[in-house]
Amino acid sequence: MKIAVCVKHAVDEAELKVDSSGNPLLAGAASKMSTFDKNAVEEALRLKAAHAGDVTIITVGPTEAKKSMKEALAMGADKGVLVTADPMSIDTRGTAELLAAVIKKGGPYDVVLCSEGSSDVYSGLVPPMLGELLGLPYFGYVRKVEVPGQSARVERALEDSIDVLEAPLPFVASVVSEINEPRYPTLIQIMQAGKKPMEEISPDVLLSGSKPAPTLFTSMKAQAMARKKVVFEGAPEETARKLVDALSGEGVLPR
Amino acid sequence: MTSLGSFMEKEVLPASPKIDMGETKIAPLRKKLFDQGMCQIPFPEEYGGLGLPFSVYANAVELLGTADASIALSVEIHNAVSEGLNRFANEAQKKKYLPNLLSGKTLASFTLTEPASGSDAGTMATTAEKKGKEYSIRGSKAFITNAGDADLYMVFAKTKNGPSCFMVESPNPGMTFGADLKKLGMKGSRTSEVVFSDCRVPEENLVGEEGKGADYAKEILHGARIIVAALNVGIAQIAYDKSVAYARTRRAFGKSIGEFQLIREKVADMKTEINAGRLMYFYASALKESGHEFSSEASQAKVFCTEMSLRVCDAAIQIQGGYGYTTDELHRHWRDARLLTIGEGTSEVLRMLIARRELARSQ
Repeated sequence: MKIAVCVKHAVDEAELKVDSSGNPLLAGAASKMSTFDKNAVEEALRLKAAHAGDVTIITVGPTEAKKSMKEALAMGADKGVLVTADPMSIDTRGTAELLAAVIKKGGPYDVVLCSEGSSDVYSGLVPPMLGELLGLPYFGYVRKVEVPGQSARVERALEDSIDVLEAPLPFVASVVSEINEPRYPTLIQIMQAGKKPMEEISPDVLLSGSKPAPTLFTSMKAQAMARKKVVFEGAPEETARKLVDALSGEGVLPR
Repeated sequence: MTSLGSFMEKEVLPASPKIDMGETKIAPLRKKLFDQGMCQIPFPEEYGGLGLPFSVYANAVELLGTADASIALSVEIHNAVSEGLNRFANEAQKKKYLPNLLSGKTLASFTLTEPASGSDAGTMATTAEKKGKEYSIRGSKAFITNAGDADLYMVFAKTKNGPSCFMVESPNPGMTFGADLKKLGMKGSRTSEVVFSDCRVPEENLVGEEGKGADYAKEILHGARIIVAALNVGIAQIAYDKSVAYARTRRAFGKSIGEFQLIREKVADMKTEINAGRLMYFYASALKESGHEFSSEASQAKVFCTEMSLRVCDAAIQIQGGYGYTTDELHRHWRDARLLTIGEGTSEVLRMLIARRELARSQ
């Protein structure tokens, strides 16, 4: 089974600082593999363990993205392809086109995995675009993947239902974090990851005559969430009632 | 190190309070740490090691000390035996024992201290008498970390020309263990007496030469002291982190206590001392890696870091006031640290060694 996993080298949201007007300080910000992409890598490794085959990690990003690539290789992936591109100059569409070009060039792949959204921007746009560009069935919000034969069976976690869907191979899926618990690479795997094949490709080689991005990134702001700081006083029964009423009033609890 | 750090933060740290309360055994976690490569770092690749610098290993123990000191102690003792074998064992012994020790398939214990003999190893009462192609070990060892849990014991016993070093595999009908000792801290690692009564070991289990055991033990302990220093920096760091978080949020007289100068002085001193200790263990590691004499610097690092972590843990309890004194989660760091001005060379003995070395050096 040939599996491709699309991984993003993202800004480390836990370390991100904002200036006084709410603009994130992106220059020199810490970066890491996008949190849920680890779940996609883990799922690929589990499919590989069950069906044999190999796992290719594909990234579109700056040279520092090798760090995420290396981490995925340390987890157990076999090889990596990095399309070197400035993340500020391409949009989700451009990213999806580059990923699709790499997948077509190195394929055919049986399974293409992404995570539901990146931990920095979380637009969730790339995986369905990828399905469309590749002309393959696409599953979103996937919490379980099984490939019993030449078709895939997945569980899709929606708000109040779980859909069970099937499609023939190959397919594209984006996974949610509950799908698995990503493994920690051991020290020896981390050391050996540097020796695994890692290819770097320029975007121009993949797509001739780059078109301007149809969307433009204008600004990104941190949002301050004001707390209501309501205190209920009185006997336990009374305060519990007030709390339930207030939460119902806010639409948090059903009336 | 980032990956190992996040493993410790997510897997080991949350278990640590339960380990202290005796509700969780450390063996499964220790196994996971071994799987991560915690026993492989400074050892040669031909035996399954990673061949990385000693300072990397010391730094990994600092991280582990932050997550749980008792597991760190157990791992450090295990690795001290690997270090001893790597330095003093013959090729056959290395091939036999090191791969399993480095992968963590077997657990080791360093069996030197006796009820009436500590750093003065020459006075040990345990004997090993040669009988044909075997040695018969008799005597008892005290305060032995990993006793009962370990599969392999590096045992020091007197032969006719002085202390010698033997590998004793468990189980052995001649080797029995006392009850687990009730300790102030370090609750996760097992500690008990090990009793040898006509414990037979084949002659090929003698490590190095007969009569050289005290020298080997001394050499092994020099390296181990750097690791104990790193472990204490880890303990100090977690106690510091908790007390600084508390100082930020606890309010008194209308402001956070972190705004009072007396608390700020404590925070500044704690952090300065922690980093001084960190530099000391890195410096001693660098000397060891580059083949320089490092015994005095290793002892200095251990004396400073162990005493420093007690000072830092004490200040951390003070900052957290009544909560510091009454919450296991806070005072266990002091209880864990309290062992280490005693174990693997007391502060007093180490000061003696440092002074002896320095006076001889300046001649």
